[in-house]
Amino acid sequence: MTAETIIQSLASGLLMGLLYGLIAVGLALIFGLMDVVNFAHGEFLMLAMYVTFFLFTFFAIDPLLSAPLAAAALFVLGAAVYLLIVRFAMRAKANVGMVQIFATFGLAIVMRGLAQLFFTADYRSVPNSWLGGKTVSVAGIYLPQPQLFGALVAIAAFGGLYLFINRTDFGRALEATREDPGAVALVGIDKNRVFALGWGLGGALVGLAGAIMATFFYIYPDVGASFALIAYVTVALGGFGSVFGAFAGGIVVGLVEATTALILPPSLKSVGIYAVYLLVVFIRPRGLFGSM
Amino acid sequence: MTMTRRDVLLGATAAAALLPLAARAQTSEVVIGATYPLSGSGAQVGVDAQRAFETAIDIINNDQDFELPLAKGVGLPGLGGAKIRIVYADTQGDPQKGRAEAERLITQEKVCAILGSYQSAVAVTISQICERYQIPFMSADNSSPSLHRRGLKYYFRASPHDEMFSAGMFDFLDAMKKKGAKAQTLALFHEDTIFGTDSANAQTKLATERGYKIVADIKYRANSPSLSAEVQQLKAANADVLMPSSYTTDGILLVKTMAELGYKPNAIVAQAAGFSEKALYDAVGDKLEGAITRGSFSLDLAAKRPMVGKINDLFKAKSGKDLNDNTSRQFMAMIIMADAINRAKSTDGEKIRDALAATEMPGDQTIMPWKRVKFDESGQNNDADPVLLQYVGGKFVTVFPSQAAVADAIWPMK
Repeated sequence: MTAETIIQSLASGLLMGLLYGLIAVGLALIFGLMDVVNFAHGEFLMLAMYVTFFLFTFFAIDPLLSAPLAAAALFVLGAAVYLLIVRFAMRAKANVGMVQIFATFGLAIVMRGLAQLFFTADYRSVPNSWLGGKTVSVAGIYLPQPQLFGALVAIAAFGGLYLFINRTDFGRALEATREDPGAVALVGIDKNRVFALGWGLGGALVGLAGAIMATFFYIYPDVGASFALIAYVTVALGGFGSVFGAFAGGIVVGLVEATTALILPPSLKSVGIYAVYLLVVFIRPRGLFGSM
Repeated sequence: MTMTRRDVLLGATAAAALLPLAARAQTSEVVIGATYPLSGSGAQVGVDAQRAFETAIDIINNDQDFELPLAKGVGLPGLGGAKIRIVYADTQGDPQKGRAEAERLITQEKVCAILGSYQSAVAVTISQICERYQIPFMSADNSSPSLHRRGLKYYFRASPHDEMFSAGMFDFLDAMKKKGAKAQTLALFHEDTIFGTDSANAQTKLATERGYKIVADIKYRANSPSLSAEVQQLKAANADVLMPSSYTTDGILLVKTMAELGYKPNAIVAQAAGFSEKALYDAVGDKLEGAITRGSFSLDLAAKRPMVGKINDLFKAKSGKDLNDNTSRQFMAMIIMADAINRAKSTDGEKIRDALAATEMPGDQTIMPWKRVKFDESGQNNDADPVLLQYVGGKFVTVFPSQAAVADAIWPMK
């Protein structure tokens, strides 16, 4: 094992980790806002990848340009899912937690099925985008441009999100609704509107991630599953509901995955992630940056 | 006696009621089950398999002029012209779901035989259920060698298994070395289910026997979100020949990651699976010029056997794709099974099994480059010769063995 291999592993891990963080942050945001875990999060990602793919195939729009469009499409989807499904699931008289789990889980299966029906089970990919397949090489260390760009977008998105939550009226409304949904009604904040916008925002973030993923990953109806699993671990590791936690959790997951693969056979590389996750759960059950 | 209107009506009703019965007795149908991943990560293969089976059934059930068993004439003559109906079951690529679905096909749908199942891990459980119910199971496209070594009476496989495929690959490497090509060190790259594991075991054994050096043996987790750590190890090892055993998803990611990390292998000799799928070449074909994969089928054969081209056209009309390694074997599995049922003149599992065991189908009555179809006592056809195909200029060219080859292999790949 040379120094070059180690640095390359850490660099790849860091880039992938930032992307994991970007995928997971929507999940963390929604959970933080209203204690609902979106089990269709992976399917949101899948849909964003298809949006990017179709915009590229039919209108020749490069993923770099269509990323805002994918984010917008997913914003609408996220808000619609809240208004049409989750809002009603939360009104359940008993077992609200179960009802919302099954509602979003069912949504995931429906979305996967519809994707296979309309988009077929074929594996797609965006063959030649501006960044796809291009690489920056620094002293023998290779940094793929799509992941590099993804990492920059992730950092920018987290920065923007931080300013948004802390510096705008809507951000403050979001924070207030999360602290006490009942009380905000008294000062004239429409809880449903805030929640819908929160879901929209969560969708838009995963939409951004999907657009970047489409430049270097294959696309098919089940593609969300393996990323969703990592997103759940990322969120739990970083602390449920903490946006900054998702950012840090993503980086930790990416780095741990890369270093495990250096030491153990690659087929066991996810073992490292789950080992760290277990450790955190035992020592600090609320996650690294969780506040509950 | 005068006929009243009521008599006529009664008679007509009775006749109408009896007609379908009579018709049914004459052209009863034969129900065959097919267990494939129709959802989940292998769904694309399952959906294509449906088109392959439909093509075969079209040829069997209708009068077609091909030198295939059962092509001429309608249905199965041995069963009074009975037609074949296929019932699909979705395994989702999961051995436990495969087991449950196979049992449902046998007990609820009353199938008399089952074809399957793409993933070898799923074939393990399905074939066990078939054995218990004494219903023949034919592996159309499973290639793990351990499958036919479990002493099952009702298990059959007409196509080669990975040891035969791997032996073919090493015969090819031997031939290349003799020509002076650089092919001494190998890197194995395989996924962690029974397909990848069995394939790597067979390759390790052959490499040791024939004096090749394995410089990297990387087992990775199927459907990984990232393969960069794995590819780095491949790059560090920089073997003369990279030998991947991967399904489509991982194959695409492998090739993309290799390009991203600046690794250009000297040569690729793949254990088919993903590397025979159009989807993989659509996605990353530009990086695979000169990649070699083993196969059991080649469209080149159409030049020698025109029937292959015509059947490919029939399949293409249904699926929009050319026949490939998987769909050609699925097509043949249906033909071979139907032929056995026809000779058994029965839908009884045991009689079909005996007819299968007595199969003797010459190679030129198939669409494959095989010598013939004849099963040994373990249910394996040992006369199915694998071929090696090279991806050149957007299509596959047969480069080995010499009797099937239409071009010399380009080595190293470009």
